[in-house]
Amino acid sequence: MSEGGNAGRVTGASIERAPSKVGDDSEFRVLRTLAERFPRTVSEGTQVRPGLLRATVERSDLFGVCRVLRDELGFEHLSMISAVDYEDRFEVVYHITSYQHRLFLELITATPKDDPSVDSISSVWGGANWQEREAYDLMGVVFRSDPKLERILLPKDVLYHPLRKDFRG
Amino acid sequence: MAEMWINMGPQHPMTHGLWNLRVKVDGETIVDAEPEVGYLHRGIEKLCEGRTYPQIIPIADRLCYGSSMTWSHAYCLTVEDLMGVEVPERAEYIRVMTIEMQRIASHLMWLAAYAGDLGLSVGFTYTMRDREVFVDLLQGLTGSRLTYNYPRIGGVAHDLPPDFGRDAIRATRYMEKRLKEYEDLFEGSKIFMMRNVDVGVLSKEDAINLGVTGPSLRASGVDYDLRKDMPYSVYPEMDFRVATHSDCDCYARYRVRMDEMWESCRIIRQAIEKMPKGRWRVVAPRNAPVGTGVGRVEDPRGEAVMYVVGDGTDRPYRLKIRSPIFVTVSAAPKILVGYKLADVVAIMGGLDMCIGENDR
Repeated sequence: MSEGGNAGRVTGASIERAPSKVGDDSEFRVLRTLAERFPRTVSEGTQVRPGLLRATVERSDLFGVCRVLRDELGFEHLSMISAVDYEDRFEVVYHITSYQHRLFLELITATPKDDPSVDSISSVWGGANWQEREAYDLMGVVFRSDPKLERILLPKDVLYHPLRKDFRG
Repeated sequence: MAEMWINMGPQHPMTHGLWNLRVKVDGETIVDAEPEVGYLHRGIEKLCEGRTYPQIIPIADRLCYGSSMTWSHAYCLTVEDLMGVEVPERAEYIRVMTIEMQRIASHLMWLAAYAGDLGLSVGFTYTMRDREVFVDLLQGLTGSRLTYNYPRIGGVAHDLPPDFGRDAIRATRYMEKRLKEYEDLFEGSKIFMMRNVDVGVLSKEDAINLGVTGPSLRASGVDYDLRKDMPYSVYPEMDFRVATHSDCDCYARYRVRMDEMWESCRIIRQAIEKMPKGRWRVVAPRNAPVGTGVGRVEDPRGEAVMYVVGDGTDRPYRLKIRSPIFVTVSAAPKILVGYKLADVVAIMGGLDMCIGENDR
């Protein structure tokens, strides 16, 4: 689907000119550090496109990885927490931003269907709290030791988690 | 004095939409606060799972009635990432132009509401009147005043009407004259300044930790704007500066939005001048591949992110929407504590709440 645009100038190319203060080196430093510190639980990360990284982590080390990301690798901002209901597992996807290195990391963790729970990272990034509450409310993923894990968008007496695939209204 | 909880909302002139702010006061001083949201929850994420990809564009419009163009653009960007569609360059310029118009219209609506909150009725009428200039332009382009349904996966719905560029440049010139007037009007008002300066201070560290984004983050002294720092579309071609302020208070948030409107006027003119001729749309595939796509844009209210999971059919398996104001309002207790009850209106107004995207 690359037929559009004027000759010789494809818009996708302009995204590569992101003004990176550290250069491409920081992307690989992030992936290398994670792989060295958590050799058994963090998968080999990939660079999806310049500025966007992707890695998967087992849920037992999620909290530790997030601490390392914030304290050592300069990821100051948690952008988004998404919970996805697959046939055999729930996935919780964290999109984390580094303001100083101009990086965006997609950290994926999976949790089994019969025990959908991961560690809360509200103590790492304060902004995570409401997003965890939202994921709990709509998808039923439990965030362990979240300071206030209550429904947020739906009324408190609702019994179901509507974004699950087995939910029939 | 005995502490007590006060409900400000869901029906309260301060709220601009349905939500409830519970504040705990000790006399006049706020000691705790708790926003309650969800009154406008429409289940948009679930709704999208039953619609085809093009059918979701008008739903994305309805995320925020104040800046619908930005949201449908964010949605198209996300699906294009999933499908691997490359957008023609002319369409990118048209998109940048329209979302900057939308930014001005959104900021003006905020300014109008804010002026109304703080008792400057003149400010309300002036800004709403001048917002019409850009709403009219977008109406001429798309046929709608609020929910435009204009971007498409792979471009935009149709080309610009004749003389649109001339009218748009004229509108930005007009707007710049008006912005000067607003600055005199607002900053010359003693009441406006007294209710803004040193009210609602949010430190840089707190703003970053609590996930506050957009003008509120830049007003806390963080120089981060997705248009500059992780550019999408043709923003790298544009010459503009990121508006920041170091005062961290309500006045700083007002100032950042005013400066952004100045910069948006410049971007609109550059986009029109640099706009190439050519196609404005390519045909996108009907079915998305198995995989994920992520798109993030600088919404007038902050960082808007969408995450889409495709399963090979013509409908998304999952679409997750990150609303910037949802996270920003969760920081409200941190900003409010220690101020007087009368400051709540200025502080929450200064955050630019939009309940449509907050509750989704």
